[in-house]
Amino acid sequence: MQKNNNQQPSKLRAFLSSDTFKGLLPVIGLVVIVIVMNILTQGKILTAKRLRLLLSQVYYPMIVATGVFFVMTLGSIDFTEGSTLGLASIVISKLSFYSIPLAIAGGILTGAAIGAINGFFHVKFKLQSFIITICTMYLFRGVCAYMTTESAVPASAAIKALDLNWLKITITVAVLLIAWFLFRFTRIGYDVKAVGAGETAARFSGVKTDRVKFLVFVAAGALTGLAAFVNVIKVGSITATAGNQLETQILISLVLGGLPITGGAKVRFSNIIVGTLMYTVLNNGLVMMGFESQTQQLIKGIIFLLFVALTIDRKALKVIK
Amino acid sequence: MDNKINLNKEKSAASKGKTLLVAEHIDKRFGITHAVNDVSITIDAGEIRGLIGENGSGKSTFSQMLCGIYSIGGGTFTLNGKQIHPRNQVEANNEGIAIIVQEMGTLSGLTVAENIFLGHEGPFMHFGVKDSHAMNREAQRLLNEYGFGRIKAGDMIDHYNFEDRKLVEIVKATYMKPQILVVDETTTALSQNGRLELYKIMDAIRADGRTVIFISHDLGEVLTHTDSVTILRDGEYIGTVRTADMTEDDLKRLMVGREIGSSYYRDDYGEPIADEVVLSVDNVSVPGQISNVSFKLHRGEILGFGGLSECGMHEVGKAIFAASWDRSGSVTLADGTAINSITTAINHSIAYASKDRDNESIIVNESIRNNIVLPSIDDLAAKGVLNERKLTAFADKHAKDMQTKMQNVQQFVSDLSGGNKQKVVLARWLGKGSDILVLDSPTRGIDVKVKQAIYALMADLRRQGKSIIMISEEIPELLGMADRILVMKDGVINGEFMRDPALSEEDLIAKMV
Repeated sequence: MQKNNNQQPSKLRAFLSSDTFKGLLPVIGLVVIVIVMNILTQGKILTAKRLRLLLSQVYYPMIVATGVFFVMTLGSIDFTEGSTLGLASIVISKLSFYSIPLAIAGGILTGAAIGAINGFFHVKFKLQSFIITICTMYLFRGVCAYMTTESAVPASAAIKALDLNWLKITITVAVLLIAWFLFRFTRIGYDVKAVGAGETAARFSGVKTDRVKFLVFVAAGALTGLAAFVNVIKVGSITATAGNQLETQILISLVLGGLPITGGAKVRFSNIIVGTLMYTVLNNGLVMMGFESQTQQLIKGIIFLLFVALTIDRKALKVIK
Repeated sequence: MDNKINLNKEKSAASKGKTLLVAEHIDKRFGITHAVNDVSITIDAGEIRGLIGENGSGKSTFSQMLCGIYSIGGGTFTLNGKQIHPRNQVEANNEGIAIIVQEMGTLSGLTVAENIFLGHEGPFMHFGVKDSHAMNREAQRLLNEYGFGRIKAGDMIDHYNFEDRKLVEIVKATYMKPQILVVDETTTALSQNGRLELYKIMDAIRADGRTVIFISHDLGEVLTHTDSVTILRDGEYIGTVRTADMTEDDLKRLMVGREIGSSYYRDDYGEPIADEVVLSVDNVSVPGQISNVSFKLHRGEILGFGGLSECGMHEVGKAIFAASWDRSGSVTLADGTAINSITTAINHSIAYASKDRDNESIIVNESIRNNIVLPSIDDLAAKGVLNERKLTAFADKHAKDMQTKMQNVQQFVSDLSGGNKQKVVLARWLGKGSDILVLDSPTRGIDVKVKQAIYALMADLRRQGKSIIMISEEIPELLGMADRILVMKDGVINGEFMRDPALSEEDLIAKMV
């Protein structure tokens, strides 16, 4: 970066601080991570077999991240995904012996119910979402542990037979398409962004802020319930650790994908896809490079911290609702 | 403390008329904006210097560099022959420079005394332990000395209203006898009484041979309370004039750089108010704010609301828009529709622009486009589906109708000046086609040019038959614009005045206090 004349560095700096560049940053990050991981693993990560494995790990986090994307756009946060996934997986497994559609509905309803509890306390009691969802996270983690103390909860053979790639891809793509449509082409997207950018002003502009917040939490729960179905057909039996630390995985994914932690108007729908892929590549790379799980956590923590520090919009900084 | 006062007095006697502050080639950029461009000013000891300019002229940025709030971008400040580079407000205080700002400058959760001595607790600390008793005693002594004895030093600051907190701030800024006190648009936040207190303190500082830099949009008070005035425009120094030689129009011309028309307010008198009632407010109460407020708004009427800032008039605006918590009584339209939610209000053609523009009127961290389309979004959707190009065209049309200064509608509102933000707020409601506009402090903190545009717009809307409720702390604009004025005091309507050229500020003030 030699200073040839006065014009160039200032143009470069203007570009580096522009929103276009900030929007591209996660995509660049994804490419860099793929290249770096490919080099560090001597090309093993880009083999067909590995890619298939990678893809199989993307489905359910991407579905969950879609719901949480809306929650975080509100400027709120949700820590219940892990325990919701665990509990919904148990419900689905138990119901799978009666009827598959019933099992799917049961999973979605379980998630929606947990989302409704979060949303209710958040809206009616004006409690901050991260406090409520930490409480409910422990609560439902406890219920999961209780239901799996004797032994793991098995799912029926019928539901396990649905572990088909085309089905999982269809569900994931359908969720993304519907969510994208709602976000871009209906007032839902505008309402959610407005609440995240300035709640009182949004309310005074005609946004039914309480209803929007409640419904977003319910939807996020329901999507986690649907993700639990994808999880059950893959793993087949549910243990106490099902969905463990999923909430941090999703949070890191979305932030890696470029979602501002304060939510609001600068979120992009692509944050979900880029972020989930980035996390999965990173995670697999670290495993393949033979790091122990403690070291992996350490590295992930550092990368997360760096990303938050680099991408946070200090002008919009406020307490997470 | 007593010694210090004497010392200052001696110095002031010697330095009367002497140069106190020399600012040379002061410069500051924010990104691409050149906020202050090579400004050089000399200020004497023992004067009150007005600093005026439109929004974005750089007057606040200039004074905030002097006070250590912003870092100095370029150039030097020389105070009493010594160069100063304050890096924060406490350092500036120690150099003898203090500031009172427009917005809330006290910290909640601390006592009055703790607020006064914030950053200067030293004398009250004994081995790291604070002697609260001594601090309260000293703070109370200061409050009594200023004549604010009703404020108790030991109370939490939260017990006091905005106005009293402002008075505490004045004590905080002035008790240490600063060489220069910067008053940055403080008066817009104060009622008439509070302003008088502030003027008294400013005069006392001048009498003591020290200096006040007085920043205000209210040219009337600039003319009556300053010795000289420095004008900035677009970050550049325009000139310094003796106040005695100036009229309000002279100052306006210097600020804007061109002739301002004489029709600042409406100039019609004697037009009757229509009989047709568009909105009835009956026995509306909000606990602790307003009680049993009833009035009717007519078609094509500008109804003004005046009073001291805590009189409850701002809550009336919220109550009409159904944005108050816990409102009783009824707000009904001519067709009998009861307004009980914000959504009903908006869908039935009521618009509301809050006094707290940045938090309640406009979403600062959102684009101009999305701010403008938000209330109209259901009207713009076809079967619930939105077309982005249609939204952009809609926002673009209404923003341009209002002559909003912007690059395009995708620009974020946070980049705009106060006046342009207000234009976006108005563009949004005109886009919605609202017939009843509740405008709380519509020209608060807005420069002359935009103010004039807003008054012209209001007169225009009135002619179109739209009804406007204008809540304002500025008496001249109530007198100049309203067909009828309701004055509030302690949460109730205390007087009603019809538009009349003979109506004076004193008539209104008499009903306010």
